[in-house]
Amino acid sequence: MGERGRGCCPSMDLMRSEPMQLVQLIIPIESAHLAVSYLGDLGLIQFKDLNAEKSPFQRTYAIQIKRSGEMARKLRFFRDQMSKAGLVTGARSQVEAIANLDDLEVKLGDLEAELVEINANGDKLQRSYNELAEYKLVLQNAGKFFHSALSSAEARQREYSANQGGEESLEIPLLSEQETTADSSKQVRLGFITGLVPREKSMAFERILFRATRGNVFLRQVSVDEPVVDPVSGDKVEKNVFAVFFSGERAKNKILKICDAFGANRYSFSEDISKQSQMITEVSRRLSELKTTLDAGLVQRGNLLQTIGEHFEHWNILVRKEKAIYHTLNMLSMDVTKKCLVAEGWSPIFATKQIQDALHQATLDCNTQVEAIFQVLRTREMPPTYFRTNKFTTAFQEIVDAYGVAKYQEANPGVFTIVTFPFLFAVMFGDWGHGICLLLATLFFIVREKKLSSQKLGDITEMAFGGRYVIVLMSIFSIYTGLIYNEFFSVPFELFGPSAYVCRDATCSEASTIGLIKGRDTYPFGVDPVWHGSRSELPFLNSLKMKMSILLGVAQMNLGIILSYFNALFFKNSINTWFQFVPQMIFLNSLFGYLSLLIIVKWCTGSQADLYHVMIYMFLSPTDELGENQLFAGQKPLQMVLLLLALVSVPWMLLPKPFLLKKQHEVCNFKLSYVIFLLIIRHQGEAYAPLPDTDESLQSGTNHNGGGHGHEEFEFSEVFVHQLIHTIEFVLGAVSNTASYLRLWALSLAHSELSIVFYEKVLLLAWGYDNIFILIIGIIIFICATVGVLLVMETLSAFLHALRLHWVEFQNKFYEGDGYKFYPFSFSVLDAEEE
Amino acid sequence: MGFLVTTLIFIVVGIIASLCARICFNRGPSANLLQLTLVITTTVCCWMMWAIVYLAQMNPLIVPILNESE
Repeated sequence: MGERGRGCCPSMDLMRSEPMQLVQLIIPIESAHLAVSYLGDLGLIQFKDLNAEKSPFQRTYAIQIKRSGEMARKLRFFRDQMSKAGLVTGARSQVEAIANLDDLEVKLGDLEAELVEINANGDKLQRSYNELAEYKLVLQNAGKFFHSALSSAEARQREYSANQGGEESLEIPLLSEQETTADSSKQVRLGFITGLVPREKSMAFERILFRATRGNVFLRQVSVDEPVVDPVSGDKVEKNVFAVFFSGERAKNKILKICDAFGANRYSFSEDISKQSQMITEVSRRLSELKTTLDAGLVQRGNLLQTIGEHFEHWNILVRKEKAIYHTLNMLSMDVTKKCLVAEGWSPIFATKQIQDALHQATLDCNTQVEAIFQVLRTREMPPTYFRTNKFTTAFQEIVDAYGVAKYQEANPGVFTIVTFPFLFAVMFGDWGHGICLLLATLFFIVREKKLSSQKLGDITEMAFGGRYVIVLMSIFSIYTGLIYNEFFSVPFELFGPSAYVCRDATCSEASTIGLIKGRDTYPFGVDPVWHGSRSELPFLNSLKMKMSILLGVAQMNLGIILSYFNALFFKNSINTWFQFVPQMIFLNSLFGYLSLLIIVKWCTGSQADLYHVMIYMFLSPTDELGENQLFAGQKPLQMVLLLLALVSVPWMLLPKPFLLKKQHEVCNFKLSYVIFLLIIRHQGEAYAPLPDTDESLQSGTNHNGGGHGHEEFEFSEVFVHQLIHTIEFVLGAVSNTASYLRLWALSLAHSELSIVFYEKVLLLAWGYDNIFILIIGIIIFICATVGVLLVMETLSAFLHALRLHWVEFQNKFYEGDGYKFYPFSFSVLDAEEE
Repeated sequence: MGFLVTTLIFIVVGIIASLCARICFNRGPSANLLQLTLVITTTVCCWMMWAIVYLAQMNPLIVPILNESE
């Protein structure tokens, strides 16, 4: 299949995708790992999954994949820990290279266990530290309650005793004495609980306590100024220190439960003041002890993470490679002898030598006696599409691939897109001032290319950076078309000599009524500057840009059809040449090629003829005299011939191709039965002889069949309907696509009008006020509008329209785009994906 | 400068550009062919654009009518 179509035209980079081959590798099992690893470094082979029917667990290397998955998990754990600790993984990986994966696995396991232990210890210590810290708070604050309670009680006692000692009044109830005695007896059994409760829950806590004990409780709270680290969750919470006084065992149980429910941590507290102070000092001592232990633990952890960080990148790459290698090995099928692995995959033909070298190297390095076997398989499957692009062409190829990946070896629109895409963009974006701004912005990207490509960028910056070479070409073409349109931020300059137009007489009185007259040679390059701001500017520019759009469109569509000819030539498909390319060319050019011709003739002769009228009546009444609309002698017979050709080319496109395909299929079937007949004859003669030559002829015979249909049943009605749709699409498309190119006119007009508005209504207006502040504001608004609307929004819209013109109007003439991309097994791609 | 002279200039510039590409970036026949194609396409595009604008102004049907104020 690879040799097909060679030599029809000299080979061109990027025009055809690389010729591919299906290769089979038979690798001894002991060198398989190394061989796949070398092939991954090479990155030029796409392995086929030969075990597609097996589940991931049934495959040969499921255990190894699990192991490397486990290692990857450990590495992720380290990375999390490092990012929590604020460490950056350094690229200093060449300290000491662990090549052996088993060593690495052990080492990772050890490190993980150590880290986990350190973390657990640290957590435990941290927790007890937090508890102690809370305890200290409770001790300090609850001490105050007791102190104040004690002093108030003493005061009341004093008052009471003073009352008693003072006057023996009758008003003093007898009961009070009893009460006090009863109180003193009860006070013995009055219990209390102290602790900390989160501040937001404190109100609810108080209410619930009150309700649960029916008011038989006394709660004191004081808020702690600074947020406290909660020992359980580790978060910083604002808390209140509380002390609950209650009586009775039942109340105590209730309160304990409520404390648990509210997450209030309780701490024991002694009423004795001397004990309190003793405890405070004790707790403070232990706190400082814990603090030093914790710090030591943190330092240890930091050191551990530091050592991990030094090797991390290296290990990570190693483990990722390992995982990818085993994934690939899982795609290979085990030989019946269980001694070899059989791989199948696509590789470009130019890589044959490199692959063989890699296999040989692996055999040498593994000291295996058996060499790996490399052989090319013949297949009728469609190979993947692989374009070798460089940093310049990649972005353009991606524009094409976004629409559809090229069929294997089909003509690549990417070649012409490199020029025509920026060019059509520039036709809509013609202003050399804006072009220069865009160029400077992109040059910034290109100058700092090395630096920017290594670092991570934002989404939009990334996109602009990826397309930097597209944008550079776009801006260069915009500068060119801007010079043609003679617009520099919408201001014209007489760069190429004086205007061609002069006044009719010395007084120049008719300049604003009838207009100027052409007095010199045509302005040599671009639009005459005199048009700018004149009353007839718009009619002139509209007529010019509209006709220009049609001319450019017809030219590009012709290029598309010509590419379909090159495709037919390459695939040796003469049916497509004669019954698709030729009638399509005739149809398009007899209608719109003729229109282009009329446009040019009209410009050259300065005729007043109405082109709409000519085109419409060419169809409605082709035999009528043209009269004043005649542009050249013999126009009427020419039109009739062209119309006839266009009419003929429609059935020409539609009818012969399906019949010819049918005939070809029948011939091919006959060939096939002939070959089978031969086979039977030979079998009877010499049994089981290989028949390579007949096999080949069989293949080449079927390959002619439109490509890829092979032995499938030939469905005539299907082919016919397909051709009908294709023909209708082309005929209608010729009209609608030509009309679609008018977007070049519309967008270019919108761009120039917008820039005129910004220049005249903002900048000139501000200038007119003769005030420095207004001028500055005007300039700022002008810059913002130019950048925001013209440089960003207009660029985007012109980009999208250029994209559409390429995808639809240009590519539908020849591009099938139903291929699939070549994804080689490559470690470099792997790294980029993981990032 | 007439139409033909400028067209000739375009052709000369195109030839010079393709020679430059050939001399500066000589990377084997197929890469050179790609560069040649790109240079030719660029030249043709630029020339078409210029030619269209030039031809449109050669025999004017509409002439510029200045605004009253100017």
